[in-house]
Amino acid sequence: MRGSRETGIIRDFSRLSRDPVAGAAPTVPTLLHPSPEHAASPVSVADLTACDLEPIRVPGAIQPHGRMLVLAADPADGSMPLAHSANWPADELSGALAELPRAMLADLVDGRAPTLLGAVRLGDRSWALSAHRSGAHLLLEYEEAPPEPPAGEAPIYSLTRVFLPRLQGAGSLVALTDLVASEMKHLSGFGRCLVYRFDADGDGEVLAERCDPGYTSYAGHHFPAGDIPRQARELYVLNPFRLIADARYDPVPLVAAPGRPGIDAAAVRRIDLSQAQLRSVSPVHLEYMRNMGTLASMSVSIVIEGRLWGLISCHDHDPRSLAPASRLACEHLGQLLALQIQALEANRSVAERLELRRLTMAIVARLSDSDATLARLVEPPAPMLELAGATGAAVVLDDQLWTVGDVPAPADIRLIADWIGGLHHDVHATATLADGLPAAPDLRRVAAGVLAISISQVHRHLVLWFRPELLQTITWAGDPRKADAAAGDGRIHPRRSFDSWVETIRGRAAPWTGAQLGAAAELRQALIGIVLRRAEEMAQVAAELGRVNKELEAFSYTVSHDLRAPMRHIAGYVDLVVESEGARLGERALRYLAHAKEASAFAGQLVDGLLDFSRMGRAALKIRATETAALVEDLAAELTRMEPGREIVWSIAPDLPVLQADPLLLQIAVRNLLENAVKYSRASQPARIAVRAVRRDDGDGLEIEDNGVGFQMKYVGKLFGVFQRLHAAEEFEGTGIGLANVRRIVERHGGTVWGRGEIKIGACFGFVLPRRTALEGSAVEGGGTTHA
Amino acid sequence: MLKPILLVEDDKRDLELTLIALERSQLANEVVALRDGAQALDYLLREGDHADREEGNPAVILLDLKLPKVTGLEVLEAIKANPSLRSVPVVMLTSSQEESDVLRSYQLGVNAYVVKPVAFDRFVSAISELGVFWAVLNEPPPGSLKTARRNE
Repeated sequence: MRGSRETGIIRDFSRLSRDPVAGAAPTVPTLLHPSPEHAASPVSVADLTACDLEPIRVPGAIQPHGRMLVLAADPADGSMPLAHSANWPADELSGALAELPRAMLADLVDGRAPTLLGAVRLGDRSWALSAHRSGAHLLLEYEEAPPEPPAGEAPIYSLTRVFLPRLQGAGSLVALTDLVASEMKHLSGFGRCLVYRFDADGDGEVLAERCDPGYTSYAGHHFPAGDIPRQARELYVLNPFRLIADARYDPVPLVAAPGRPGIDAAAVRRIDLSQAQLRSVSPVHLEYMRNMGTLASMSVSIVIEGRLWGLISCHDHDPRSLAPASRLACEHLGQLLALQIQALEANRSVAERLELRRLTMAIVARLSDSDATLARLVEPPAPMLELAGATGAAVVLDDQLWTVGDVPAPADIRLIADWIGGLHHDVHATATLADGLPAAPDLRRVAAGVLAISISQVHRHLVLWFRPELLQTITWAGDPRKADAAAGDGRIHPRRSFDSWVETIRGRAAPWTGAQLGAAAELRQALIGIVLRRAEEMAQVAAELGRVNKELEAFSYTVSHDLRAPMRHIAGYVDLVVESEGARLGERALRYLAHAKEASAFAGQLVDGLLDFSRMGRAALKIRATETAALVEDLAAELTRMEPGREIVWSIAPDLPVLQADPLLLQIAVRNLLENAVKYSRASQPARIAVRAVRRDDGDGLEIEDNGVGFQMKYVGKLFGVFQRLHAAEEFEGTGIGLANVRRIVERHGGTVWGRGEIKIGACFGFVLPRRTALEGSAVEGGGTTHA
Repeated sequence: MLKPILLVEDDKRDLELTLIALERSQLANEVVALRDGAQALDYLLREGDHADREEGNPAVILLDLKLPKVTGLEVLEAIKANPSLRSVPVVMLTSSQEESDVLRSYQLGVNAYVVKPVAFDRFVSAISELGVFWAVLNEPPPGSLKTARRNE
């Protein structure tokens, strides 16, 4: 899927209006910020943006609650350390070196987190030794072990056995984090524990909290992203555990070991302490902690798919350390929480995608069942809105526009469509339209957020969804605008106030979710499929129309050429007779000839009328109420006269209907059917022709049955084709257009025609025409109708 | 000696009526009536049945559009493609009002195109007006010669 996502929250304070509502909060700064950490740079920090550049992984110092030894990872490099922290008594350093667990050290894998290797006695105290490998260095950390927890099950087992099932039972993020905050506080013994997550902007939102009396609650508060520099965030991913035992500490520098001339102070400062538990943190951060009155802090990262999702953060008013076994359990708890959150989010995402997919399919199915015009997307009830969780939607097809729900004015929609069309994204989403389209008027009440899919690369065919602004009220732990305030001493200090500060964010819609974007993209694919299929169908219809038109041309040609000739002959010979013999003819004969001439002229008119009809194709039908009884009687009499030598027994029903039809065309159709009946019953003695009324649900009509030669039903389809004949021309005269003509006329009236036959038994042809109301009749004609 | 008029018409009634109309137009020319396009081409090219006819082109050719074997349009095409026949005026006589036929006939170089009217009196006058062509081309003394072609 191509397209940009602008679902993130914008932290451009100049654009979003921030309305401080209240500064109400405790004035006593007893709060501990969850987990900020600034660059551990030496004394002067020019400005805080430089924090992002500071080498916090190589501070060249450790916290004083432990000791460090740095060895060469290469065993061939001997057992002498390269460097060590400056807080080793000489005898204990040599003792430690004498008791190095070399086999265990050799097994350490580069890049792994520190491994607890066990307890070591140095002097008269017990120390916990953990070690890890970082490139060419082995880093050994000795922490004075606080009293172990009461004997019994190790915390990590208890965590897995007792706590994990409870965690798995938690069905929501709130329940999960609440459980974890409680458990973490219990495990660590710290005075307060917060679980919070980072939003897309990096702001931290406190989801769950547990605190002892005397600690201020920060539940529901936000901490600005600026509290934690980018580099510190990366380190949180790399090293999920961080402890600051006493914020008042003086860093203990690493020093080059004596007797190792290759190591100087610069080389010592390059030692990577990213994974070290004792790594010294930024003095700015320590000041930040002290500003909040917290002396100990501990954090466990919540890392999901390589991304820092959030932190579990613990604070205490007093210095505090953690037994190694408890620390392991805390780390493990963070991992368990990450897994559970991941599962929860995956489930929710799958459920949402399934639901949206169902909606997409419903939309597509509905569209496919209709005429497949995109305008139908916004017809009520519009599942379109539900699909994207939008309050309004629009379909833009070049200059045409259809909408549903709350949408901007048409001109504004066109402005948005022009802008998005120009981006050439298949799918485009923004939660802050004003950012991309600053020229637009203030649309945030209906369209602060816009999601769009583009159906065509060539045309401006777009589907747009709109969302109004979502007024967000955020309670910050301190005014984030003052985070970078400079003090009078010429260097940058962390902010000193963590009082609640409420701001209202405007102009921003709720962000479009990944599932909604996916559904929009899927709908786009489906729509393109439908549009393409529709184009194919149109092409097929066009081809069929072309074929029919050609047939029509051939038909009109024959009418024009072949039928006009006989009329001309009749007229010509009648004239010749009158001219040459008129003087000798009686009055009666002259009258007959006059009738003949009139008949030929009338026939010529019929032919020319039919020709016009077939040529123009769309000529309006002149629908009238037409008495078929009189029509049939006249035609039967005429046809009987034309076959003087034959005995034809007509059986005409007395209840022939009045049909809504063009009288001229109906006469042509009925004449054709009657002529066929007369013609093909020529060999029958006597010929019997029955004309009956047909009354069906779909209309009224006639049925003409004869006892003639009949036909085989397998040819019934051919009978109604133009120029199709089932008999040799010598046997039965005719051009073969008669029934095609009948079908054309009947279908032009919206009726249906049929034929049944059996060889040597006879044939029966019939038709029905729909009943029309006066209104429909006039609609067909395109004008007023005079009903008889 | 006046050049003859070549009439190509397959329908015997149309042939008869046309001959009567020609007679009434007081034209002196002999009328050669042929029944299909193939014969017409044989006559014009002095081939087949007409290999022995006297030399010379007709004054005008009245050609029905719809002819058996070789259609009127094909005959017209052959005439206009033949340098020795190209100058002979050709008049299409037909029932057809098809625009495509008219267009095609003019594309092929027809000199006139007459849709036969249904009414006989108008048919006669239409045929008579065709005399303009050969009257101008052949300058026959008006009414000088009358050949009996009455079909009686």
